Amino acid sequence: MSELVLALQDLVKDFDGKRAVDNISFSLRRGEILGLLGPNGAGKTTTMRMIMDIIAPDAGRIEVLGRPFSEALKDRIGYLPEERGLYRKLKVLDTLLFFGELKGMKAAAARERGRMLLKQFQLDGYAEKKVEELSKGMAQKLQFITTILHDPELLILDEPFSGLDPLNIELVKDIILSRRREGMTIIYSTHLMEYAEKTVDSLVMIDKGRKVLDGTLAAVKAEYGQKFVTVQYEGDARFVASLPYVRSWRDSGREMEVELADLSKREQLLRDLLGRVAVGGFQVSEPSLQNIFIRKVQEGAGA
Amino acid sequence: MKKILAVIKKEYKVIVQKKSFIIMTILTPVLMAGMMFVPVLLMKVGRTDKTIAVADFAGGYLQALNAKPAEKKERKKGGVDLDAIDQQKALRDVGGRITFRPVDLGGRDAAAVVKEYEQKVLRKQVDGLLLIPAGVKASRQVSYYSTSVSDFSTLKFIESTLRTAISKQLLLEKSIDPAVVDEATREIDMETFKVKKEGTTKSDSGMDYMMSLFMIVILFMILINYGQMIMRGVLEEKTSRISELLIASARSTHIFYGKLLGIGLAGLTQVGIWIVLAGLLVTRFSGSIDAGILSFLTPEIALYFVVFFVLGFFVYAIPYAFIGAAVNTDQEAQQFAGVLSVLIIVPYILGISALQNPNSALTVGASLFPLFSPILMFMRITTAVPPLWQILSAIGLCLLTIWGLAWLGAKIFRVGMLMYGKKPTLGEMLRWVRYK
Repeated sequence: MSELVLALQDLVKDFDGKRAVDNISFSLRRGEILGLLGPNGAGKTTTMRMIMDIIAPDAGRIEVLGRPFSEALKDRIGYLPEERGLYRKLKVLDTLLFFGELKGMKAAAARERGRMLLKQFQLDGYAEKKVEELSKGMAQKLQFITTILHDPELLILDEPFSGLDPLNIELVKDIILSRRREGMTIIYSTHLMEYAEKTVDSLVMIDKGRKVLDGTLAAVKAEYGQKFVTVQYEGDARFVASLPYVRSWRDSGREMEVELADLSKREQLLRDLLGRVAVGGFQVSEPSLQNIFIRKVQEGAGA
Repeated sequence: MKKILAVIKKEYKVIVQKKSFIIMTILTPVLMAGMMFVPVLLMKVGRTDKTIAVADFAGGYLQALNAKPAEKKERKKGGVDLDAIDQQKALRDVGGRITFRPVDLGGRDAAAVVKEYEQKVLRKQVDGLLLIPAGVKASRQVSYYSTSVSDFSTLKFIESTLRTAISKQLLLEKSIDPAVVDEATREIDMETFKVKKEGTTKSDSGMDYMMSLFMIVILFMILINYGQMIMRGVLEEKTSRISELLIASARSTHIFYGKLLGIGLAGLTQVGIWIVLAGLLVTRFSGSIDAGILSFLTPEIALYFVVFFVLGFFVYAIPYAFIGAAVNTDQEAQQFAGVLSVLIIVPYILGISALQNPNSALTVGASLFPLFSPILMFMRITTAVPPLWQILSAIGLCLLTIWGLAWLGAKIFRVGMLMYGKKPTLGEMLRWVRYK
């Protein structure tokens, strides 16, 4: 097993009597990508800020790169906060120079690596332009470059997809995957679970400050997998919910996701559907993280 | 330490490369030069020669009036010694050259002459009519008719000339030796000297006042300017959401101090350029401007200017940084900045009275108060050199205040920087100070 890059143990944080983070524990190994998933307000940003020592936890322990957080660690971490921006009046290369030096790089090294990354991200023509002259997508790229400029061992990205158009979301996803190829360890948070599905090795789901699920993507999917059927249909399918072998039913009008007690019941379901609704498509599917999350939250609420 | 340097470097570079910085750096000395030379030029270009008609019923006074300027010039040791300012003063005294022209009385009485000249004055054929009645020696009563009777220097000039002429006449009637009479009625010329530790110099009190006021205005302007620059800088980091990135990269105290030092250094650069330019100006024009200005802009004054700029910068910049960290929008920031500006205006207003009375208890006390001393103590230094212990106490108290403010500021900065979108109450801000 490779070394632990990040370990959180029983983390608790209250804000004005309201518990924002409630006993959260998880860990991350070198070279892994971990997705911290959950809806808005679940406590993702608070957790990340505690990792970065921006706010102090009320209880619990955090170890980053094998030790409690210290100033010196800041230079080994690339942190992209949810609330982020750049100096609008500063030139692109000066921006990189500033953030590089702020991360303890020498000016020459920051300039050299900055130029290299600008080239890699197709921004090399903009080195002398002011940040305010960049398009939103370009500014977002530059923001990422400042995060990875000092070649951090650990990347902490808080909602890296937020506020981006689909094109830039693809771009950020590519960036994350390319960093992984370079051996960076990455933790990122998002409420957009369909994007996490394609990039993470393991995941932690939190809701209302509590951890509802964690594990590798494969394990999580295996636990819930192979019992789901997705049906495209037309007609009134409400009767499906009351079928004895159906454990859960999620309907979006023309498509439903049905969880069966046992996968062998899938033919039974098809037979029951035929004649009552017009079936357009029928396939056994893996559950989406979105569905797993909703089920988990419902289980928690029901229990 | 390396990180502080990175912040200093960035802040300095951003300001020094700004267009407004370059413009202000050049424009201020131009204005400074303007302040020195424009009054002189205005005196030369804008002075108006006057013609005053004199209805001399007593007789013999016209000659005295017309002789005056020449006499005055002679007294000034042949006119060669006249430097620009004295010349300017002489011109100011009479508001331009005045020609006194006799009125042909032709046996008319005063009322008839006045009637005629009322029309002439209105038609601007003459600027005024001076009526000297026959019994002036006893009554000491003359009349002056003009569209403008607020030209005090002209009126004063006429008054003193006539008084001297009458005195002379009275003395001569008592058959006193004309030479003695001349001697007895000579005008008094007062020169002002400024006593300083390093030697007494001839100095023009009006000029001193102007220079002092001028330097205070500059000090006041740049203190507010750089304070607001810091405020906007901090606010920008909040509004463009940079603060969290900064705090995740370096100690917040390092960022805070780096910011203060970087912007302060930019200010110092500007002040330095001005002082060098002023020095050049003074050496280049030392022949043509008054020794008063020369004696005013001593290296000592320049040094104190720098010292009190630096002290004032930190005393005011830190509260400005508080504001930037505590508020969320430009409007809010401007409101609070307005309050702070008032605080900076107080020593400025006190200073105006301090210029007249530099050693009053109020002035001395206020000039030791750290929020006022950067402006007030400097003002006192430019007018009447205060005892060294007072200067040193003011500097010491300022340093102490800065130390306290910096400690407080770093804390407020740390918490305020991460408060997006929420307006903190005063109570909350006090709580920030107690955070770890």
